[in-house]
Amino acid sequence: MNCRSEVLEVTVEARQVEEAMLALLHTILLHRSTGKFHYKKEGTYSIGTVGTQDIDCDFIDFTFVRVSSEELDRVIRKAVSEFKDALSSDGMGQISLEFYQKKKSRWPFSDECIPWEVWSIKVNMVNLANEQERQICREKVGEKLGDKVINVVEVINRHEYLPKMPTQSEVDNVFDTSLKDVQPYLYKITYQITDSLGTSVSTTMRRLIKDTLAL
Amino acid sequence: MAHFETEYQRLEASYSDSPPGEENLLMHVPEGSKSQWHHIENLDLFFQRVYNLHQKNGFTCMLLGEIFELVQLLFVVGFTVFLANCVDYDVLFANKFVNHTDSSKVTLPDAILPMDVCSAHIRENTFVIFLLIISGVFWLHRLVKFLYNVCCYWEIRSFYINALKMTMSELPYVTWQEVQARIIEIQKEHQICIHKKELTELDIYHRILRFKNYMVAMVNKSLLPVRFRLPALGDSVFYTRGLKYNFELIFFWGPGSLFENEWSLKPEYKRGGNRLELADRLASRILWIGIANLLLCPVILVWQILYAFFSYTEAASKYMNCFLSPLLTVVAKNVAFFAGSLLAVLIALTIYDEDVLAVEHVLSSITLLGVCITVCRSFIPDKHMVFCPEQLLRVILAHIHYMPDHWQGNAHRYETRDQFSQLFQYKAVFILEELLSPVVTPIILIFCLRRKSLEIIDFFRNFTVEVVGVGDTCSFAQMDVRQHGHPAWMSEGKTEASIYQQAEDGKTELSLMHFAITNPHWQPPRETTHFISQLKERVHREAAGASSDTHPLSLSESEPRSLVANILAGPSTLASVHFACDSSLTNSGVPEMPGGAAALRSLSPISGSLQLRGSLSAAHRASGFTGRTMTGSGTDARTVSSGSSAWEGQLTSLVLSEYASTEMSIHALYMHELHKQQSRGDLSRHTWHRQESDESSDSIPDEVRSEPNARSRHVPRSHTFPTTLTSPGAGSASAASGQSSSQRRHSGPAADPFGAGAAKVVRTPLVPMGGWAEEGKASSRHQEPLQEETSEDELPPHTQKVIIIIIIIKVWQKSAVSFFFKLCCLFDAFVLFLSRFRLHKPYEEVLSQSTHPHPSPYLHFGSSSSSPRRENRSVPQGLSELL
Repeated sequence: MNCRSEVLEVTVEARQVEEAMLALLHTILLHRSTGKFHYKKEGTYSIGTVGTQDIDCDFIDFTFVRVSSEELDRVIRKAVSEFKDALSSDGMGQISLEFYQKKKSRWPFSDECIPWEVWSIKVNMVNLANEQERQICREKVGEKLGDKVINVVEVINRHEYLPKMPTQSEVDNVFDTSLKDVQPYLYKITYQITDSLGTSVSTTMRRLIKDTLAL
Repeated sequence: MAHFETEYQRLEASYSDSPPGEENLLMHVPEGSKSQWHHIENLDLFFQRVYNLHQKNGFTCMLLGEIFELVQLLFVVGFTVFLANCVDYDVLFANKFVNHTDSSKVTLPDAILPMDVCSAHIRENTFVIFLLIISGVFWLHRLVKFLYNVCCYWEIRSFYINALKMTMSELPYVTWQEVQARIIEIQKEHQICIHKKELTELDIYHRILRFKNYMVAMVNKSLLPVRFRLPALGDSVFYTRGLKYNFELIFFWGPGSLFENEWSLKPEYKRGGNRLELADRLASRILWIGIANLLLCPVILVWQILYAFFSYTEAASKYMNCFLSPLLTVVAKNVAFFAGSLLAVLIALTIYDEDVLAVEHVLSSITLLGVCITVCRSFIPDKHMVFCPEQLLRVILAHIHYMPDHWQGNAHRYETRDQFSQLFQYKAVFILEELLSPVVTPIILIFCLRRKSLEIIDFFRNFTVEVVGVGDTCSFAQMDVRQHGHPAWMSEGKTEASIYQQAEDGKTELSLMHFAITNPHWQPPRETTHFISQLKERVHREAAGASSDTHPLSLSESEPRSLVANILAGPSTLASVHFACDSSLTNSGVPEMPGGAAALRSLSPISGSLQLRGSLSAAHRASGFTGRTMTGSGTDARTVSSGSSAWEGQLTSLVLSEYASTEMSIHALYMHELHKQQSRGDLSRHTWHRQESDESSDSIPDEVRSEPNARSRHVPRSHTFPTTLTSPGAGSASAASGQSSSQRRHSGPAADPFGAGAAKVVRTPLVPMGGWAEEGKASSRHQEPLQEETSEDELPPHTQKVIIIIIIIKVWQKSAVSFFFKLCCLFDAFVLFLSRFRLHKPYEEVLSQSTHPHPSPYLHFGSSSSSPRRENRSVPQGLSELL
């Protein structure tokens, strides 16, 4: 609960799914990434630079900016194409980008991953009958995505909670340091096809155990 | 995909970003996460734990308590099995001869069967094995829970120490309000909640009591099947732990429950579209859970017995004591006398020569006589106890802030007693209900709850609001008078609620008042602020009207410190206590008194005589010795308190919190009073009569009271709309409360919002020892207010004094308790164990339970701990919501 959640909703054609998702996810990540930190001995650090790239979409009239990091792009692309494959032709789905931080726990417990911001993108797929509709859709979706990007920027510009800048030993708890050219906040991409029914069994079991253990 | 390189390019090809002039680089200093408390994942759980740790007086106390419970369970099970299987009773009763070469004496070890025989016994008996397995599982469960808790609460402990800067040793002296204030303060620094810069008290309560608020609201709106009309027993309330657990399982966290996670309702339940389908689904889930319950019934039964063993609390027996029969008392006194003399002789003889014990039956008669005296004692009411049930009920009302309308004026009736006992059950009844619960619970689920599934779905949809930073909460818990106010409870004109939306019994208003008083820093929305200030002003004004020449009874504004100092410096506190007692019995009736003031006054004398005693006995029970010091003499207690330096430091905060609780009591009484007047609709005048104190209480003609009572009881509960309560013959026959009519006279007709009706004079033969006779609703019976003879001028000092006394008493009690806690937690565990054998009050559970944050005895919406912790033990707490 202790985490912001933002929901974006888009309606697209099947072939636009991938680009639309990439556009939104990259936009968010662009604002949630920093340059690599270089720690100095005195406990200070300097921040490296981050390059950006304009990306033109093939199926949508839209251009977006992303961090110019091939590695990051590869990771996102992989997640998105899995999502796309899982999505049926006129189904609904949701892909979420969750930023979290790790909290070291004492021995019997494993490290906790505590999300602080979750972006959920709900996707409605439509099938279009003819080329003309597709053309209209191509423009419409472009406009919609433009709105969403503005929306994202507005949310990010609000002065809200962000994890504090970590010291060298803690940097892995806050940032994903595995990429060599950019350093996004720790993030996780998950997707969900249609609303799964009810609480999953595992959540219930966890809750059951927690509840019995609770004082 | 087209892929353009933009102009923005690195100057260097390499990825090592260390430009040449390193000294010119912008350097950053990491803040690091100095505290581990920023951004806590599950704030609900976190706040609950913080609260629990506070309620348990710190980590060590909690740890010790838990360890003792574990040992206890082991001991009880082990010892029972041992007694049943490993003792040779033949040897013990000397039915069997034991061969001893050296001496003829039978020793204890002789009576114990050898190990192998013993284990063979156990192995033969499958039932014992079954029990042993279940208790083993139970014990292991407790053990794991204990270990888990130790880990979790260790974190909370360090939160207290590092973030809140409170040591565990001072925790028992700190009120929850203070802890809460600290949490709100550190939020600014640590950002434990990331949604907002600042937390409010209400946010914290919402999180701690999220589900509880739903339950309270559902009971309040009579949605949960907890009251039943049984053929033989009449109206009864059945709300056991098992049933509650099942409700929670179904609604809040079970498989397929309405909640997605701890803080949000599933989206489909927020939409009205497929409510029928959802209701069907809920109904079938309830059915399955009911069936599962039925199948697991034997296991649950054993489990519950074990669990019941672990969760006793004390009960409020004061009011119930009133109903002891005088005949029994006389008999008991005499039996006790004879038994006592015999016992004294025997004991004296034994002291003189121990051999007396060896004489046949001497030991057993001593034991028997002892038991006999103890039993008799329990039938002899406190000598100073006065039969004035109305006053007692008032005192209770002052504490639980809740009372169904038809109790008023009928406090002496057994029906009321029975209903009250539904709030504060006897232990035996509780145990019986718990034992029945495994069987009854599935029946209730399958046959009663299932039918309500549609209403439940609607309830959750209509009464869930999403609060930023808190998640989905019950809208009643927002305590918004506009949305959920009840016109009969002072929110007339302010409320826009339909009958469906109104909380019953003035719950919204009372909860709001309570919350505002216990959390003075809380800043409610504007209309709410308006409501509160208006109410406060009215109460103060009327109190001031009653005590025109001295300060108004504005508790929050007066100087607690000096008042208390006065009392401490004064002569014998006990004397003033007596004064209070006496005054309640013999004096002071100002016929012209505003309604609110009357309410205040009716609070005060009682508080003097009864609350005092209530708190004494509660303290007595709670700590073993505190009560004694207080009954001993006033000065004793004073020494105790002044002897403890910690006490002095805490004085202010304790006194202030006392003020808060007293103020709440006053407001609660006031609101009930007002409600009563209002619901009477049109008021008639009423004249007070002098009461003949020697008349017996049995002389009230039954027909006089039963009629109105019956009528009021027939008003359907969930539709208690005030207008339905107006008495049929209001203009002529119905009598108004004395308070209302007097208020009219006092403040002038223009100021009286309620108007007045015709006077009706009814002479009542009997009110036991006076006190305010509350007129029943529309009842024509009136009783004598004792205050008749006192002049108005006498009132203020008296009232004030009494309030000060209450405060002193409570402070004593509390300080003594804290002192006691400081002395040893071990003893607490012991006392707790002993207290198991007392009356039991499970309904504190009702919408709450002892182990949970329901701090408050009366469980308002959004109130966690109303008063400082110790308070809870001294006041009757209970499931006031249920009725």
